[in-house]
Amino acid sequence: MSLSRIGIVSTSQTQLRPAWDSAQHIDLISAVVTDVFKGTGLTLADVDFVIDSGSDVLDGRSISNCGFLGAMGAHHKEESRVEEDGLWSAQYGAVKIGGGSARVGLIIAYSKCSEADVRQFYTTQVDPFYQRPVGFGHEEASGLQAQRYLAAGGASLEDLADLTVQRWKDAAAQGRVQIDEIPDRDAVLNSGNLARPLTGMMAARACDGAVAVLIANEEITNRTASRPVWLTGMGSSSESHSFATRSPDALDGCVAAAEQAYRHAGWKGADADVAEVSASTAVTELMALEALGLAGKGKGLKAATGGKTRVNASGGALPADPIMATGLVRLSEAARQLTHPSEFGLKAPQKAVVTGAGGVGMQTHCVMTLEV
Amino acid sequence: MGREVAIVGVGQTHHSRRRTDVSQAGLVREAVDRALADAKLTIDDIDSVVVATGPVLFAAVNQPEKWVADAIGASLKPLVRITSGGGTGLAGALGGYHQISGGFADRVLVVAYDKLSEGQLQYSISTLYDPFWGRNFAVGIMGFSAAYWRARMDELGHTEEAAAMVSVKNRKNAISNPYAHMKKEVTVEDVLNSRPLAWPIKLLDVPPISDGAAAVVLSSEDKAAESTTNPAFIRAMGYYCEADNAPARSLLQSEPLALAARRLYRAAGITNPRRQFDVVEVQEPYSCFELNYYESMGLCAPGEAAELVASGATQVDGDIPVNPSGGCMGANPIGAVGLIRLIEGATQVMGRSESIQIKGAKTALVQSGGGWANLRGLAVLSA
Repeated sequence: MSLSRIGIVSTSQTQLRPAWDSAQHIDLISAVVTDVFKGTGLTLADVDFVIDSGSDVLDGRSISNCGFLGAMGAHHKEESRVEEDGLWSAQYGAVKIGGGSARVGLIIAYSKCSEADVRQFYTTQVDPFYQRPVGFGHEEASGLQAQRYLAAGGASLEDLADLTVQRWKDAAAQGRVQIDEIPDRDAVLNSGNLARPLTGMMAARACDGAVAVLIANEEITNRTASRPVWLTGMGSSSESHSFATRSPDALDGCVAAAEQAYRHAGWKGADADVAEVSASTAVTELMALEALGLAGKGKGLKAATGGKTRVNASGGALPADPIMATGLVRLSEAARQLTHPSEFGLKAPQKAVVTGAGGVGMQTHCVMTLEV
Repeated sequence: MGREVAIVGVGQTHHSRRRTDVSQAGLVREAVDRALADAKLTIDDIDSVVVATGPVLFAAVNQPEKWVADAIGASLKPLVRITSGGGTGLAGALGGYHQISGGFADRVLVVAYDKLSEGQLQYSISTLYDPFWGRNFAVGIMGFSAAYWRARMDELGHTEEAAAMVSVKNRKNAISNPYAHMKKEVTVEDVLNSRPLAWPIKLLDVPPISDGAAAVVLSSEDKAAESTTNPAFIRAMGYYCEADNAPARSLLQSEPLALAARRLYRAAGITNPRRQFDVVEVQEPYSCFELNYYESMGLCAPGEAAELVASGATQVDGDIPVNPSGGCMGANPIGAVGLIRLIEGATQVMGRSESIQIKGAKTALVQSGGGWANLRGLAVLSA
């Protein structure tokens, strides 16, 4: 099995805000679909297909892609909805171009969590017979993960607070996340109980926003992208639905997804100059870094802020988690770091690894490698 | 270009109105076990799993692929759910097709199902309507479909009888399908005299509501021989849409289906669909839609579908049999239907249909679709 060279031509994001109350879904989607073509010489007429990620449950609407086809520019084109994080949509688009049946694809992901009940979004994913009756859900799973990780000595509660502060600072510096006030350590520690030991701010903040990524085959990418970024490896994996049978302080699905991606790319996590990682909490961000091979087990904290690989220079998912779009935002941010390194204080990064995740306690994982 | 992709194993449940003996996970497992056995493989041989279901409100579990992951052996494998309204089964198969064609996987298990007894179907469909200007008058999909049919009656002079003939044909064929649960022969008069639900749609123009699952093993050409000497090759496949609010949208023929046909026929070397296809399987959510499809897929000229069905050409002994399996009229687990149609088309060209085998069938056309009648897919299969 081998993958052809697929390129990222351009990306576009709206600002990520806790509530985009002045814009409907179609406004957010239209904004990125219009913007993503700028400077490429391509137009909507050049797009062969649209793959999109969104959630019927978050949207409060069955087959919600149906209502947004016009805004997505999908009219009279091939279109499919991947009801999982947008990074899976990017993988679908990449294999579609790789097989030669299409040349240019538009990948879209969006979220309007402010109009939804995010807790219900996760609770309704849980097995209805054994787990729902006992009130088990995403927050509970996240709390259990944190308990086990902290008990193993990987980090202290203060470390988690400091990591959270750092992520909010980085996000504020880039300006693509709405941040009114950067919290300090005490603010994070005193932000209310989420699921012991996690406080509210140690969990990813649900946000509204949209992201679009234009991908193309090698020839068109070379002709249109001002600086092409290549998708060189991809993988995805699901863990068991049963939380009790998963490793309590590790993300085995992320390990499996990363192995697939690195095998395609021909390099290892330690070779990455940049990592953009999705995570539900400050603890699972550390677990994800370990799963990607950026740190040994229980050693994620050092890699998170002071390792050789620059991690979540965008701020990552903690300050802004547009559920269903978070992983595709990571891809967009990593591509920007590879093409505009000076904005992030980076020298000449060549390789990036990005992740998306889904489900209660991060059951599913998607990993892609990017190169310039 | 990409690699050839073949269907090497198929399985479906015995569909029924209500399966109280299994959960969603148990239901899909039945279809998966049958498909893997058919392909002479185990789950260890599968590189990647694609799940397709109807809208999650249909059965009230969000992202249900995560729940059924263990039952279908997806743990620590790529798993993704593709959903595209009623045609999601075919959209899911298309996702698996591209994974193989694009070199991501050698074997993909595609699983599609719906357990409609566990949700409020028409209520769920009503949430398809725009929350601001559509939901106040939303009445499921039937009112919209009635308007669709009425437009054909007014513009093309089609009659209620023409649609009734579709229902009569498909219900008769379903009697020979071991997986169907609606097995009762009816006459055109029975259909015309059945209770109006949203005129011109009457009770017997409407398929049943079902619980059911289907699974298909897709394989690269290299590995197909490990499963069968007689695979069904996917010669072309696509899933097109039109924006539901496009002002110029026609209610007569389906523009995305006609677009899919043009693109796919070109790719598969089909220049005369009525001559070149030996058998056709379509997803008919209401009887009248099958007539629209005849025209949109080029089996007859625009406006001539009523004559085509009246001529008997689409009967099992006609020159272009449509739905020898009975189509949706025999069983209608919506999210699975697109994949069931693919299975029925594939087993026809493999020469081992469990419904009515069309003698010597070598090339099949499979149609599926959903949404607001604005999402439309096709597959061209051959031996």
